[in-house]
Amino acid sequence: MSSDVTEPRWSLRLPADCSIAAIRSVYDLIRDAFGRQARIEIDCSSVDKADVTSIQLLLSTAKTGEAQGRPVVLKSFSQSLRNTLRRAGFASEAMIDQHFPQKKDGT
Amino acid sequence: MSAIDPTEVFRQEASELFEVLEGALLDLGQRPDDRELVDSAFRALHTIKGSGAMFGFDKVASFTHEFETAFDRVRKGEIEPTQELISVALAAKDYIRALIEDPQSTDDVIGEAILDDLKRFVFSDQPAAPVAAIIEAPSPAPAERKQAGWHLYLEFESHILRNGSNPLDLLEDLCKLGPCFVVPVTDGIPFLDEMEPEDCYLKWDVKLHAACDKGAIDDVFMFVQDEMKLTLSPLEQVEAPAPAPLFQLLDEEPAADVETPAPVVETPAPVEAIAAPAEQPAAKTEPKSETKPETKPETKREAAPARREEARQDRGIATVRVQAERLDELMDRVGELVIAQARLTQLAASGSDLSIKVIAEEIERLASSLRDTTMGARMVPIGSLFGRFRRLVHDLSRDLSKPVDFVTSGEDTELDKTMIECLADPLVHLIRNAIDHGIEDTAARAVAGKTAQGRIELAAVHSGAQVLVTVKDNGGGLNTARIRAKAEEQGLITAGAVLTDHEIHQFLFHPGFSTAQTVSALSGRGVGMDVVKRTIENMRGSIDLSTRPGEGTTVTLRLPLTLAIIEGLLIRVGEGRYIIPLSAVEECVELTAEDERSRGRNFLNMRGNLVPFLRLREIMSSSGTPDQHQKTIIISTGETRVGLVADQIIGNHQTVIKSLSKLHSDVTIFSGATILGDGTAALILDVAQLVALAQSKVEKQHISEAA
Repeated sequence: MSSDVTEPRWSLRLPADCSIAAIRSVYDLIRDAFGRQARIEIDCSSVDKADVTSIQLLLSTAKTGEAQGRPVVLKSFSQSLRNTLRRAGFASEAMIDQHFPQKKDGT
Repeated sequence: MSAIDPTEVFRQEASELFEVLEGALLDLGQRPDDRELVDSAFRALHTIKGSGAMFGFDKVASFTHEFETAFDRVRKGEIEPTQELISVALAAKDYIRALIEDPQSTDDVIGEAILDDLKRFVFSDQPAAPVAAIIEAPSPAPAERKQAGWHLYLEFESHILRNGSNPLDLLEDLCKLGPCFVVPVTDGIPFLDEMEPEDCYLKWDVKLHAACDKGAIDDVFMFVQDEMKLTLSPLEQVEAPAPAPLFQLLDEEPAADVETPAPVVETPAPVEAIAAPAEQPAAKTEPKSETKPETKPETKREAAPARREEARQDRGIATVRVQAERLDELMDRVGELVIAQARLTQLAASGSDLSIKVIAEEIERLASSLRDTTMGARMVPIGSLFGRFRRLVHDLSRDLSKPVDFVTSGEDTELDKTMIECLADPLVHLIRNAIDHGIEDTAARAVAGKTAQGRIELAAVHSGAQVLVTVKDNGGGLNTARIRAKAEEQGLITAGAVLTDHEIHQFLFHPGFSTAQTVSALSGRGVGMDVVKRTIENMRGSIDLSTRPGEGTTVTLRLPLTLAIIEGLLIRVGEGRYIIPLSAVEECVELTAEDERSRGRNFLNMRGNLVPFLRLREIMSSSGTPDQHQKTIIISTGETRVGLVADQIIGNHQTVIKSLSKLHSDVTIFSGATILGDGTAALILDVAQLVALAQSKVEKQHISEAA
């Protein structure tokens, strides 16, 4: 994980392992990020292991951000994460966008 | 409190699952048609796979996945689980075990070779399979053909991910049945603060466009059916053929088009696919309003969940995993308590304070029930041990080309866990011997008019305060003449000495004694039976052999229920006090004047039977004059009875066994010591040794009389 505190947004890079074995620590990281007074940006480019728990955590993060009026930007979904999303039925980009409205790709 | 290492917990759980898997595979060899066994094996595999992935054992997870995939045809009933297939499956199980327990010792090449073997057996008839599939495909029942598919609503229990199950794998399996439209239902996702990250919140709404029967869908969810709610309803017939799936497995959508029959479906496909997610926001406020009420769900599982939940909760509190050493510690403490209680009782008895006496009695009662409870907690069904030998028999039977039917009974018989651990090696020896020496080869059995398949029975049964474990084979029986010849050759007996068959068979327990004509990797080196005997005697048990020529041999092990605390008979010999294990005591009689007169012969007349006796005063070299009325305690091991003459029988005594130091290792007639209520020590007599001593004295007497 890396964080950039010089900007008003808090940037968080998810670790490679976001599977159930490590999800608790990822959850703690994200909750920690929510504790800060900044915009949250979550970089998913390094995620190498993902499963249902990873998807749920990202969905909950997006939902919580929206409810608190603090949009959470999810960016750079790794191929592994995309595959997992597809397997879970988030079959199209449109569908992913619908559940993760603040998703940003590429950057 | 030490932190629990989750990896270690996984290893322990996996070890139990391996036992289940091995048991199921071995049973499958006997009962290839038993679907429950296949399911049980798959359930174990599935859990190993899921938990393995969860705890970071990726190699385990991927190998097990391959194993599962290859074995899937067995599950589907497409091929029979042959003996060869089961042998390879067992090897695969061993490999997974090695991957978990000692990954360094494993080599990927071995794993690949096992999988290749597995695939070779599983897919050996593969060319025929597609033909069968093609033939079968167009001919389902007319009613089923009309059906367009199934509408499924999947809701998993929250803990399912922790159990190692992966809903995504299940969805993938479902997609193998036909084109699937999977829509995740996300309205159950909580806010971060309310979330347990390992719980399952996602649900799925699936439209399966395949005319498969319901059983095929049930098969997919077979392992998780108790942990989910599956609502299943038939899809209505649509005019157009099934639309092309938006996504098939992984990323293979263009290739799939080749097989989908009509380009007409191009239009409806995107409509339905896009419509589903578009409806999602509405579903947020009114979850499943469209699908649930109008469908007629087959809720055969829905009525049961509450009951199942209750049952699971019951199971949850029914067992607690405790480290074995904590139980040992507890037993030690109880032992100390029993000793302290004995002292209190003695003190109270010598005083006159009634209230102390009442308290002492109360504590005695409590200590006694605490002892029983603690001993009960250490009891383990012997079946956990028996299970291990099934593999041994399977492998030996294959290696020696001697088909053997291995039958066990009395698996529920409970023994102290320490006893179970000690019993493993002796039983391995006995079972090996039974197959290697006992069971004849197929040709010899045919000549003897026996069935080609030999039989080995391993049984356990309670007998008073003891457990009898028997290993019985239906082989050729012991060759008494050969044992005798060997004993003479080794100088253990003189040629022509008169011995009963039973006495001759005892030479088998002599160190270095083997009648095997060839030494094999299994047996024949003459180490084994003496070790077995020593181990059993160290457990304060005894071993007995009986044989019928041509019909087989039975080895009986008599074992005490526990090694920690026993009921003993406290006796006095001169000034010393000794304990005789009560389980070995048959009766107590007074040494009559007539018996006294027969001094020199040392035999008692017990209702017509002559029983040799030992004067403990002589053995212990006690000083002073013996009491006027000497008592004889008749003890027995197996068939042999011996009398022990003591000065006084004090009474029964709860004996906490303390082992003797190494300095006393050469004192054979004592098996341990205990502390009495007054703080003094009493030695525990070793019944087996005393019986042997009495017998040797009898033999000497015979010889001197003959001279």
